[in-house]
Amino acid sequence: MGEFARLNFYCDEHRCINCDGCSVACAEAHELPEYISRRKVITMNEGIENMEYSLSIACMHCTDAPCQQVCPVDCFYIRADGIVLHDKDKCIGCAYCLYACPFGAPQFPLDGAFGTKGVMDKCTMCAGGPEETNSHEERELYGQNRISEGKVPVCAAMCSTKALLVGDSAKISDIYRERILSKGHGAKTQPYGWDVAYGKKL
Amino acid sequence: MKKRYLALMLLLSTFLFGAKADSSIWGNNLLSNILEYDKEGSLHMGHYFTVIQSTYIQPMLLFVLIVIPLAFAAHYFIVGPKVFSHSGKSIMVFSLFKRINHALAAISFMVIIPTGIIMIFGDFFGGGAFVRFCKGAHAIASPLFMISVIPMLLTWMKRMIFSPKDDIRWLKIVGGYLSKEKKPIPAGMFNMGQKIYFWFVTLGGLVMIATSVILYLVDFELGIFTSMGLSQIDVLRISALTHNIIGIFIVAMFMVHIYMSVFAIKDAYKSMIDGTIPEEEVKILHSSYYKELQEKGEV
Repeated sequence: MGEFARLNFYCDEHRCINCDGCSVACAEAHELPEYISRRKVITMNEGIENMEYSLSIACMHCTDAPCQQVCPVDCFYIRADGIVLHDKDKCIGCAYCLYACPFGAPQFPLDGAFGTKGVMDKCTMCAGGPEETNSHEERELYGQNRISEGKVPVCAAMCSTKALLVGDSAKISDIYRERILSKGHGAKTQPYGWDVAYGKKL
Repeated sequence: MKKRYLALMLLLSTFLFGAKADSSIWGNNLLSNILEYDKEGSLHMGHYFTVIQSTYIQPMLLFVLIVIPLAFAAHYFIVGPKVFSHSGKSIMVFSLFKRINHALAAISFMVIIPTGIIMIFGDFFGGGAFVRFCKGAHAIASPLFMISVIPMLLTWMKRMIFSPKDDIRWLKIVGGYLSKEKKPIPAGMFNMGQKIYFWFVTLGGLVMIATSVILYLVDFELGIFTSMGLSQIDVLRISALTHNIIGIFIVAMFMVHIYMSVFAIKDAYKSMIDGTIPEEEVKILHSSYYKELQEKGEV
């Protein structure tokens, strides 16, 4: 990992077989409550021949994190390695991050009185939160902190076809390019480049 | 008969909640939202929401909170308040029902407005338990406004219709607030300023209520929006922006309302407690209404 590495997810659409292993692994590893699914598998262009492909999506840890921009209590922070995390003690559950996010990543437990929204929960790239690393509080609030132990996030580790890649974005695109080249010509690619949420000018 | 029944059912059906097992945000709709995002032809609501919410909302409110009190201070020290004696003869204007109704709305505003301001400046207050408490209070106080806004609209509507003769003249002299002179001012039971405030708070208030319910429920679907081709997430984005922008306008107007009733016209707020206004105040500030009362022989 270089000095200016930014960690990213990328799901190889040629390899994803829609097995849902990543989202099950995520929910199990972090002991997520009901209604919370930090990661899910979606199928694009369903039913259209040669266009159909599946992707595993969660928080994309965008470089321009729109959630961080709109948060009224500034509970988001971006680590030096690009992981977008948030502080659940600050969060007021207003859901503005959900409105800003193009991917529907922020999740809300509807468990308060009269169905009010609880504090937000989202993919942490298995890097926990602002609490002391690997403390009981961190585990309770944010789930496992695998990054601190030098492990790959659980979704990517469990991916049976190694479709879900995680790591330094430059390295990931190298791996992806290599895979496309080894397939030879004819491989259709639609790199979707979701490292920036709102790149284009309005 | 049958046709009418069908039409009614059709109308009602647009307000029904879509009975779906699937979530309307994180379910299948997520796909079309992702495919559409940043593409040409889409609404770009996510992008607009991000830009407007992150760059304009806080400065707009800050501007209101600084400029309006400064204007009041300038008015108070340069022009000064209008004082009418409350010890002389007074006219009964507001019935008990209207006063109770006004009190309900007033109590709810006293909670809703400060808590709303605290939420917009949530980062200043550091978030956490305090801002979360304000968010709860904001929601709990809103039913008080919901039950008082409709009777308020119905009981005062007739008096709040614009009458070009008085109201345009009132606007030209800014309600006579630029001088301390006690000259009869063209206004009926309510002057142009009160009318603008009334329509903003009642109609704007209804929009605030509608958007607040949408933002509170989050994950649902309404036939009326789906038929307009709006996805639920875009409905939420539009609602949040509308709620915040109209909210800032209401904060501004509420501040003017308080200043007028407490300071600019000394102790005018008392009319909403005992229902009476000093006769001299009616004669000067609501001259057309005074004439109307004279014609009826009530004064």
